[in-house]
Amino acid sequence: MSTTTTSLPAHLAAFASQAAEWALGTQNERQHKRLHSSREALKSFYTAAMPVLPDILAYVDQFPLGQIPPEGQPVFHIALSLAEVAPHIELYRGDPKVPFSFEESRFVADHGAVVG
Amino acid sequence: MNAPAELKWAAKYPELGTGPIPVDPCVSPEIYEKEIEKVFMKTWLKVARVEEIPNNGDYKVKKLAFAKTSIILIRGKDGQIRGFHNTCSHRGNKVIVEQGEETFGKNKAAVVTCRFHGWVYNAQGELVQVPEENKFHPCFEREKNSLTSVHTDVWEGFVFVNLDRTAEVTPLREFLGSYADHMGGFPYSEISHCFSYHTELKCNWKVAHDAFAEAYHVSTIHAGSFPNVFSSGLSDVQLFGPHRTTAICLSLDAEPTPVAKIANSLVTGSLVSQRGASMLPPSVNPSRRDDFSFELSVMFPNLLLHISEGIWFTHQFWPIAHDRTLWEGKYYVSKPKTNSQRWALEHAQCLQRNAWLEDTATMEDTQIALESGAKSVMHLQDDEVLIRHGYKVLESYLNDE
Repeated sequence: MSTTTTSLPAHLAAFASQAAEWALGTQNERQHKRLHSSREALKSFYTAAMPVLPDILAYVDQFPLGQIPPEGQPVFHIALSLAEVAPHIELYRGDPKVPFSFEESRFVADHGAVVG
Repeated sequence: MNAPAELKWAAKYPELGTGPIPVDPCVSPEIYEKEIEKVFMKTWLKVARVEEIPNNGDYKVKKLAFAKTSIILIRGKDGQIRGFHNTCSHRGNKVIVEQGEETFGKNKAAVVTCRFHGWVYNAQGELVQVPEENKFHPCFEREKNSLTSVHTDVWEGFVFVNLDRTAEVTPLREFLGSYADHMGGFPYSEISHCFSYHTELKCNWKVAHDAFAEAYHVSTIHAGSFPNVFSSGLSDVQLFGPHRTTAICLSLDAEPTPVAKIANSLVTGSLVSQRGASMLPPSVNPSRRDDFSFELSVMFPNLLLHISEGIWFTHQFWPIAHDRTLWEGKYYVSKPKTNSQRWALEHAQCLQRNAWLEDTATMEDTQIALESGAKSVMHLQDDEVLIRHGYKVLESYLNDE
């Protein structure tokens, strides 16, 4: 694999610093951030992240599973945050909570504290 | 009025009756005690997967609050998994100190050692070492002080225990009967990437169980996460002794959302897509209908096991009191091969979690409302036949002398 093609593209690096608050390593952190964000914050994150999602996925697939280099980790974690946020924009009309749901903090995710 | 022609499950299973079902079993502490004594202390209960303790010497300790015990499941040097009460033969301390509901550990020599005074037991449960053994009185016999064993067996990689104290119990395979033929042969072990949740619900275990055992609720409860995705009716319902099963189908008129579309193109991780039937046992979706989503089966008394192309998941309901239940939800997919698949699974799994948050939202309200005593019965429609069967089976166990 050529090293020239695997460095983080400039536009993804720029996006990663713009959306740095969403670069969270664990599902628990991403869930907590989504739950405590405003409707407006979720919407603007989704709107900013959607256009670069295909490029992020193409970039991370240059590396074997779990071996994204440190410079690429934040942008991958931001993509995982988009996976967390997307249903709230696409299905729940922007509601930061799952509407009519059980208390999320009482749901214990055994995998929730695993990074990645 | 309903047209009788639509009541196909009542026609197929007339022995279940059609009348309202008493709510007493969900609110009565006395009936709860009877259920523990006659069902949970006497039947096979799934407590682990073999993949959780893959190597010889690996062990899992599973708390079983209803029985006021916890069980050590240890894989011996012979590869066999055996179960024992986590209670030392000396003065009754827990042999393995537990953290939470489930505790995992390993020991190369395949022994466990009580922290209190260092008594050592092997994976057959035998007491193999007692510090200062010569100070015990002559009436103490090491050979007679093994760990207290529990009946333990494995089917399709699921580890079961039966807490019945009698020496002979119905063998697991016989207990599962033709349910095992129906749900066996699915590649459970290969699809081993697990997302696992648990919580304690302030409701009876059947209130939680019943809420997951029909599709009638989908158009209301899952209007958020699964809009227009699933049909409300059941297909291919079959009863197998105390166990039961049905197919849940897609409505096929839902357009995937933008992120779901990308995720579904990368990986098999979501129920909300058509995915073929290459790995389904032949009796599951026997006509290979193309709107099939997943098989929803109930392994009596407390396990819902669902299988689907590339996905399987379970709900399990552990009674704690007549109005308290430990719920465990586990969602299994194939391990991702690429980073983008890892991303796509995150999306599928978050959506599934959200659907479970919608499911569990009703349960505590149902319990509170039932406890009011305002209603003495519940009414079940034809497509709630699995719930009807569940109460019927339970009644027969409770009346069994």
